[in-house]
Parts: sequence; structure tokens; C-alpha cells
Amino acid sequence: MIGHQLALMKREIWEHRSIYVTPIAIAVVVSLVSLAGMVTVSAFDKEVNIALFGATNIAGDAERQAALTVFFLGTSWVFLFALAILTTFYSLDSLYAERKDKSILFWRSLPITDAETVISKLLTAVFVLPLFTVAAIIVTHLVNLVITTGWVIVKGGNAAHLVWGSVTLFDNWAAALIVTVASAIWMSPFIGWFLFVSAFTKRSPLLMAFMPLIIVPIIEWIFFRSKIFASAVFGRGEVIPLFREMDIEHFFDEERMQVNEDLVSLLAHIDVGKFLLSPSVWVGVVVCGILVTAAIYVRRYRDES
Amino acid sequence: MNSLVSARGVSKHFGKVCAVDNVSFDIEKGRIMGLIGPNGAGKTTLLKAVLGLTECDGELSVLGLDPFRQRKELMQNICFIADVAVLPRWIRVSQLLDFVETTHPNFSRDKAEALLAKTKVNTRRDSRVRELSKGMVTQLHLAIIAAIDARLLVLDEPTLGLDIIFRKEFYANLLSDYFDEERTILVTTHQVEEIENILTDIMFINEGRIILDASMDSLGEDYVELLALGEKADQARAIGPIAERDVFGKKIMLFEKPDRARLAQLGELHTPSVADLFVAKVKGAAA
Repeated sequence: MIGHQLALMKREIWEHRSIYVTPIAIAVVVSLVSLAGMVTVSAFDKEVNIALFGATNIAGDAERQAALTVFFLGTSWVFLFALAILTTFYSLDSLYAERKDKSILFWRSLPITDAETVISKLLTAVFVLPLFTVAAIIVTHLVNLVITTGWVIVKGGNAAHLVWGSVTLFDNWAAALIVTVASAIWMSPFIGWFLFVSAFTKRSPLLMAFMPLIIVPIIEWIFFRSKIFASAVFGRGEVIPLFREMDIEHFFDEERMQVNEDLVSLLAHIDVGKFLLSPSVWVGVVVCGILVTAAIYVRRYRDES
Repeated sequence: MNSLVSARGVSKHFGKVCAVDNVSFDIEKGRIMGLIGPNGAGKTTLLKAVLGLTECDGELSVLGLDPFRQRKELMQNICFIADVAVLPRWIRVSQLLDFVETTHPNFSRDKAEALLAKTKVNTRRDSRVRELSKGMVTQLHLAIIAAIDARLLVLDEPTLGLDIIFRKEFYANLLSDYFDEERTILVTTHQVEEIENILTDIMFINEGRIILDASMDSLGEDYVELLALGEKADQARAIGPIAERDVFGKKIMLFEKPDRARLAQLGELHTPSVADLFVAKVKGAAA
């Protein structure tokens, strides 16, 4: 069973090269942008005191750590955004492509159950894709720190202290891992829905997946004047019950737009217990389970002739 | 019981259309059974039922298992080639071998490698399936299938779209690399003349019904073709052939359960080809 799952997940990576190509491409772009940023800033560095890396006049260690964390966050969201798109396309393609190219007849000639196959695709979407993304985030982070080190050394700073001594590497990486995997679990009802559509639809999985998400709320509003479906579906995209209360309202206020000790540790803002105890997380997992079961049944019982 | 496949009153309906209509047959161990029928006769549906890909009514037992409910166990001992085009196009040859090796308990990597070494695929281990010619894909698929120690091999139009050289080679390899008395093959094809010499048994299916189920050995005894001219043709016709056709002015008549001594006086006797017998049977069933 576990041997099968590993082989099946490996197969998914062989088939969908975008699983690793996309994070690598983003890592390269982010690193280049970061390098370009350094070069640009270094041209103005007498005028523009960004008070970040290597600036010896920075207020203190905590601020420098926070600055590096903010910088790290700034690069990470690009990866999360790409992961959302990648997961959507992967899930929609996973059970559709094999029917389109008829390879499903080959896969089903092997002693592997439909449940094993569909579950491997779910696990790939919920765990494998996020893990590749986290790996790319970590590599990008390191590359950026190396670039920063170069810049600091050129400016005559002590990189060992100002950069490597200031960055909370493992705190940031652990946070990236938790946030990424938790987001995938939080969004798993969508993954389940995409897998179901992928197994079910005869054409255009993307359209078939998103049309109901738009049409059902409209119909609900016309007939019932309510927004239950819309808030259940789109509400999920708004907030994930993973973070401690933050003063989001005033986060971008002028006087608060400064890095401070609050931002040194990302883990300090994450509350895994709150996530695991949140009923809406488990409702989502159950909905995902139902939809994945439906996808298994469709693959099992559909007659492709 | 020696039957590998046993069907009793098997039917399959798609809405009001009856694709397989109350079919009963047995396939015994060590046989090569050809399932022959025109398009839409129900061949593929019947094979799908045998492979557990579709649910059907009636009693169907394959290797003593219910094919639809015990699919996973069944697939450990059955192989099938549904069509030449079903290998995933994106996969590399080496990846495909790795995957089958980890997921199929009865697959022998060594045997697959040895079989591939004799083909053009040998130097293309890093190629993707889409980069191989159709003939090479078939060689690859057959090598994988032949390396699986399975008791029943089901082939549905395995050589469709291949040129004559690959078709001949496919069946030659099938016999040399796969077949032995422990194994059984069930094959469907349109190109019946290419496989009639390898079959041990034959089954004709038309409009969902089996219209002939016989061993190849018995065909020569049960059916005879008579070449007759003029008056003798009229006499022969009176005996009641199941089919008659004209070739260059000669009448060729097909008789079932013939009185050979009597027919021999009327003209030349031949063993009919499976194709001719098939045409006669299908037309007879339609009449």
C-alpha cells in the first residue's frame, strides 16, 4: 500500500513536471529581481537609507532581524500565490488527462485500485506540491542571503553578523512549512472539488469547475435572496484560522509602518492548536473526503466505451 | 473445473441498447481464443466485462473471481492490451519499467529487459513514449505484458493501425515470448486472416449474440467449401448450403455438417477460411 502510494506519487511528478519546474522558475525570477534590487539600491545608497541589510546605522539587532523576516515574507507570498494556481491546474488535469489520452486503460490494467490512484493524486496536491514549494522558498531564501552577503561585503559590512547572525532561518522555514501545508489542508475542499470535476467532466475541466461557483450563488440570490453558498465558498479564501490575533486594521498605518520586534519570529504568530481545533477546518476536510470519494466512484464505475 | 473464463447468461445493456445478449461460453486453460465480430457486435463490451471494467448481468467468473468486484486480485493474474495507443505518451521507457516493477507483483524486470533488448526500443530507454513510432510502442507494451507472469492475456485489436511487418512480428512474438500451456489468450481483431493459424478456438459474435463457438480443429470437419460448376452447382444448391458466392463464374458454396462423399462428386472440396465462414455466419444470422 505505501509502496504503491510512493510509486504513484512519483508518477505524478514525472507526468506533471510543472510541480517542480514552476517553483524553480519562480525561485530564479525572485532571485534575479532581488539581485537587480540590490544593484539599483546600491547606486543610491548615500541618499536612500533603507535601513536594511548591512546598514551599520540600523537601530538594533531586533529591527534588523525583523527586516530580514519581512524581506523573506515578501518573497514567499509569490510562491504561495503560484502554488494556488499550480494546485488548481494540477487537480483539474489529474483525472482528466488520463481519460483524454486513453492511458487510463493502461493504468487500469495494473493491479492498483481506483481508490489508491485517486488518493495518490489527492496526497500529491495536498502534500507533495506544498513540499516542493517550501523547498523552493528555502533555496530562494538562501540564494538571497548569499546575494545580500555579497552586497554587505562590498559595502564593507560584517556579513557574518549583519546577515547570517540576524536571520532567524529555522523559524522562518518552519513557518513557511506550516503555513503552506495548512493552507493546502484549509483549501482541500477546492482540491476535492477539482478532482471530482476532473474525473467527471467530458470537456474543459477549468470551465466546468468554476462555472458552478459563479452560477450557483447567482441562482441562490435570485431565488432565496441569501448568500450562504457564496460565503461558504469564497469566505474560505478570506481568512485561515491559523494566525494569532493581529492588528490587521492598523498594520499599514503610517506610524506603524516600521519593522519592529513583533516581526522577528513568524512562528510566534502561528497557532497550530487554533487551526486543529477550528471546526471549519474539519468541515472542509470532510467535504474534501466526500468529493474525493465521489471521484473514486466515477473512475471506478464510469464505462468509457 | 478447468475453465479459466466461464460465462452463463451474461448480458449488458446500455439504456435500451443490448450490447451483449445472454451469452454463455467457456475458455479453458492453454487455449488461444479468437473473438471475431463486426463493429458494434459487442466484442469490446464483452472483453470489458471479462476485465471487470464494466458491470454486467448474469454469471461471469474469470480465474474463479468476480471480475467487477474483485478487480485488484484479478489484475494480478490478467494482462490486457486494450489498444495500441494507451501507453501514456509522456512517460519515459525507463520510468514505465520502474513503475510496473514497483506496482505489479508478477512482473519480471529481467525478462522485460531481455525482450526489449531484441527490439528497436532497446536504445531508446530515455525516450518518451510519444517519441517512439507506433510499432515500437507496441513492442514495448508487448514486452511489458510478456514479462508479467499472468494466467490470462486479453488483447483487444492489439495491432490496429500497425503496418503488416509489425503485425506479423507482434503475433510471432506473442507465441514465442508469451504463450505456453499454462497461459491463455483471448484476442479480438478485424484482421482474422492474420491470426487464424495461431488460434486454437474461435467464437463469432454478432449483435450481442454468439453465433459460433468451436475449436479450430472441429471447423475443418464441420464446414466444407465446395467449388461447383453449372448443373452440379444446382444439385449442390438443393442440398442446402449456408452460403453461396460467385468467383469467376464458379459457384462456391459453404456447407455445415456436410455429407462429404456426396459433395465430393459435385466438385472440389476445400476447408473454408475463417473469414469466409464468418461472413456466411453473420449473413445467415441476419437472414
